[in-house]
Order: sequence, then structure tokens, then C-alpha cells
Amino acid sequence: MQSSPTTPEAVRFRGVTRRFGDVRALDAVDVSISTGETVAVLGPNGAGKTTAIGLILGLTAPTAGSVETLGQSPSSAVSSGRVGAMLQASGLPSYVRVAELLEFTRRLYPEPLALSAILERAGLTPLRDRRIDQISGGEAQRLRFAMAIAGNPDLVILDEPTVAMDVETRRSFWADMRRSASEGRTILFATHYLEEADQVADRVLVLDRGTIVADGSGSAIRGRVHARTIRFDLPGADAEMLAGVAGVTAMDIHGDQVKLTSNDADETVHSIYAAGLAVRNIEVTGAGLEEAFLALTDPDRSQTETNR
Amino acid sequence: MTRLGQPLPIALQTVAAFVRLELRRVVRNRRYLIFGVAFPTVFYLLYTGVLSGAAARSDAPVDGTTWGAYFMVSMATYGAIVAALGGANLIAQDRASGWTRQLHVTPMRPVAYVLGKLIVSYVVTVPAVGGVLLVALAVNHVDLPPATWLEVLTVLALGALPFAALGLLIGYVFGPDGAQGAVILSFLALGVLGGLWAPISSFPESVATIGRVLPSYDLAELGREAVRGAAVDPAVVLALAAYAAVISALVGWRYRAAERRSDG
Repeated sequence: MQSSPTTPEAVRFRGVTRRFGDVRALDAVDVSISTGETVAVLGPNGAGKTTAIGLILGLTAPTAGSVETLGQSPSSAVSSGRVGAMLQASGLPSYVRVAELLEFTRRLYPEPLALSAILERAGLTPLRDRRIDQISGGEAQRLRFAMAIAGNPDLVILDEPTVAMDVETRRSFWADMRRSASEGRTILFATHYLEEADQVADRVLVLDRGTIVADGSGSAIRGRVHARTIRFDLPGADAEMLAGVAGVTAMDIHGDQVKLTSNDADETVHSIYAAGLAVRNIEVTGAGLEEAFLALTDPDRSQTETNR
Repeated sequence: MTRLGQPLPIALQTVAAFVRLELRRVVRNRRYLIFGVAFPTVFYLLYTGVLSGAAARSDAPVDGTTWGAYFMVSMATYGAIVAALGGANLIAQDRASGWTRQLHVTPMRPVAYVLGKLIVSYVVTVPAVGGVLLVALAVNHVDLPPATWLEVLTVLALGALPFAALGLLIGYVFGPDGAQGAVILSFLALGVLGGLWAPISSFPESVATIGRVLPSYDLAELGREAVRGAAVDPAVVLALAAYAAVISALVGWRYRAAERRSDG
């Protein structure tokens, strides 16, 4: 592995805004990623993950601010062959075999890995002579991953890499990712699975509506989420009746059935009874990952966080 | 654009690797083999051998040569045009599938993509032209000096530049379905009006006037001059070069627009 001689930073965003028409896909983002870090960019669809990746790779330019990749402009970093990337569901050429495509990709880089090593790492050795139009969605994802590492890059960028992979493939994929990371590579991947971010990354950036709402280790982020789901029946329930209930971050009413997401279940339950609401069949459960994530990216919730 | 600042040896290696990959794709594509290589060869045989009425005998005199040699040039030109235009389908596919976007995140520069596609469009004309020539020689015993065979092949393959450029243009303007339609429409119009299916001298004067300004007519003229052993007419070469230049300029314009669109 060659390490960056000029700067320890693999990626640096300074006040980066990217606007598409009236939409601010990224809004004044400042972040820096050091060499050797494994970073997950976590966020719901439309949070700005793909835009951020496009900026790091020079596929798009910032509306304001500046982006540096490996201490240089993104397009020269990509041209130098020190960056490998796997884009979301990017196309693959028709009529070509797996090994042929990887051999071609190798030749684009100054210091590529050996073909056999690439095939082995991506678990593609048995598929080397298979035509690309005859492989499954999960196998195509492995092939895209293989293309990303073919050039033996210092920085690996992966946009939602495990989409379309089955559980087993996903497991071996991340095992290889950890191996790549242990060789000193910087890895940045986008995902909307909190679990993946938590298990694989040293650092998790949570992106929501174009801004970074949390930045820390997976466990630190998880610790910030104490969301619970509270379900009960309440005849004639409406949002107004429940407006005074404490700790609620999300509310879902279907007829008499109510589902609340709360960041303080004790307080919420207490205030339901204190308000004299005739609730029945009350049930408190740990929030699913999705609810936990909503709590984290909810604007009211983040306000509670900062006010604390 | 800083993207051109790549050391030359790697850039050449890149283009070579890309051309190899693309040639594999073209050769495995049945459409190319059927319409570019088999079709002109079979039609040549049909019109000179199997369908040999009195007017269509292979050794019948036409335009200072024999029908066998005359129609050989027509069908070889047609094959060259179909093969050269075929690049359009793969470019439109590459753009629609996002393969070009994936290439953008490798060290390969977009200009290497265009150059590679152009080279491939050129190379694939050789079997299309060669197939017809081979059949003319082997089946119809068209009698030409060895140097003339080589000249016809060279002239028709090299002269296909405007059509290779037109293929790129179609690939950058249309989506995969539209590109296929545009390619078929182009080679039919260029073939019929350019006098590749029936001699242009048999057309009504108004249609013949249109036909004579088409690059397909020019390319076939180059081939026929070679067959007759005449010197290359600079006016014809100039006309083809002008077509190539204008279409290439349009390609540059559409290509830059496509690059800007991919920026987002």
C-alpha cells in the first residue's frame, strides 16, 4: 500500500453546498476523513449520500465550498488511479465475461492487483468465464466491488454496496471489507442499514436532508437513540388529544389504534395517564432500527439533543 | 480539463484495452454479424448469381466494369456503412445502463472512450467489406489485379469515417431503442438513395441529384474508381472528409452536452 505523502486526509469537505435547482442536496457540509479510517455514511433516501459520493469522485462539482480527495482535486485523484469506486447499480457492459471485464479494469490502473487476487477477494473465481448478462443481481454487486478494488486503490468508495446481496454474500462481503481496511485503505461506504454501519465502520456520519446530524462511533450513535414504540387503543383518538403527551417524536393513528415513537417511554406513559386518557392494551417495545433512525434524524429530536 | 493530464503510455494502454473489450462485444453481437457481414454477402450472391436474369449476370458490362464487380463494391460499401453505424447501439446502451458513468470513476478519460469507439467502428468495417470481396472472388470469379483488391478494401474501410462518426452521433443523441431505429433508417436511406441497391443512373433525375450528394454514393464511387483502375478523385475524397468533419463537430457538441448531463 502506498500511503499519501502530502496529507493525512483522504477526504476533505470545506463548506460544501450542492444545489440541484431549488433542492439543497448538501448544505454547508464540513467534514474531514483521515487516511485509514472506515467510515459509514448513513442516511435515509434523499439525505445527500449519493451527492456526497459524487463530489468525492468528481462526478459533480460543488455549488459552493471545496472538496479535496487524497489532497488533490477529485478528478485528478480519480485520474491518478488511487481511488476505486462502486456506484449504485451502475451499468455493466453487455456481451463480456467476468474475467474479461476485470482484466480490462486492471489495465486502466498503474499498479493493479493480480487478476486471480481480485477474483478471489470478490468470490468470483467460479464465475470467471460467465457472461455478465447471465449473473444474478448479487453477483453483479460482487463484480462491481471487484472493479472498485482492481486498481489496488488507497481510497475505496462504495455507494450502498450490499443492495441485492443475500445474507451470506453480505457477510463475506463485509469480512473482505474489514480485510481491505486492515491493509491501511481508507473506506467510505453509504448505507441505509444502521446495523451495517455499526458493525463495520470505525466512524458513522449520519446525514439527513443535506447536513451531518451525527458523527461518531457506531456505538456512540446507537447510544443516542433511546427510542421506544408505544402502542395502545384509544377510542376516538386524534392528534389533538395526544398533543400534550411528553417525549413523542412520531405519531401514527389508525382509527382507535395509536402508535407513538418516544425518546422517553417512562415519561410518555406517565403523561398519558396523567392526562386522564382512557387508553387500553398499552404495550411498550424497543423501537426497530427504522424508528431509531427516524428519532435520530427527526429535527425536534435533534433539538432535544442539543438543548440537553 | 485536467483529465487529459495522463502519462501517454498509460493512455495508450487504456485505449488498447478498451478497443479489445469493445471488439469482443461487437463480434459477439449477432446484429453485427447478421446485418453487417452476412446480409451484404448474401445479397451480393442473390443479385449476381441466384437471381441471374439477363440484366443481372455477373459478367454483364455496367458502368465500365462488370455487374459482378460493380455490385460487389455496392454491397461492400453497404456492409461498411452498416458495420460502422453499429457503434451507435452500444454507445446508447452504455449511456442508458450507466456503464459510461462507472468508467468516469476509473482513470480512463472520456476522450479515450470516444477514441476507442471510433477505432472499433473502423476495424469492424474490414470483415464486412472483406466478406463481400471474398465471395466475389471465390464464387463469381471477379477478375481484378491483386493490388486492386487491396485498394478496394483499403478505400472502403478507410472511407467509412463519416459513418463511424454518424454512429457516434446517433449513440449520443438517442436512447437504446431510438438509436436502433435511427441506425436502420440511416443505412436504408443511405443505401437506397446512394445507389447501393440499384445504380443511381436508373433513378429519376430529381432523386439521382439527392443521391449524388450523399456520402454513401461518394464512398461507393471511391470503390468503383479503384475497380476501374482510375485515379482517386480528390473531389470525392474532399466530400467524404467534409461529411466526416461536420458530423464529428456535431459529435463533439453532443458529447460535451452528455458529459455535462452526467455531472449530476
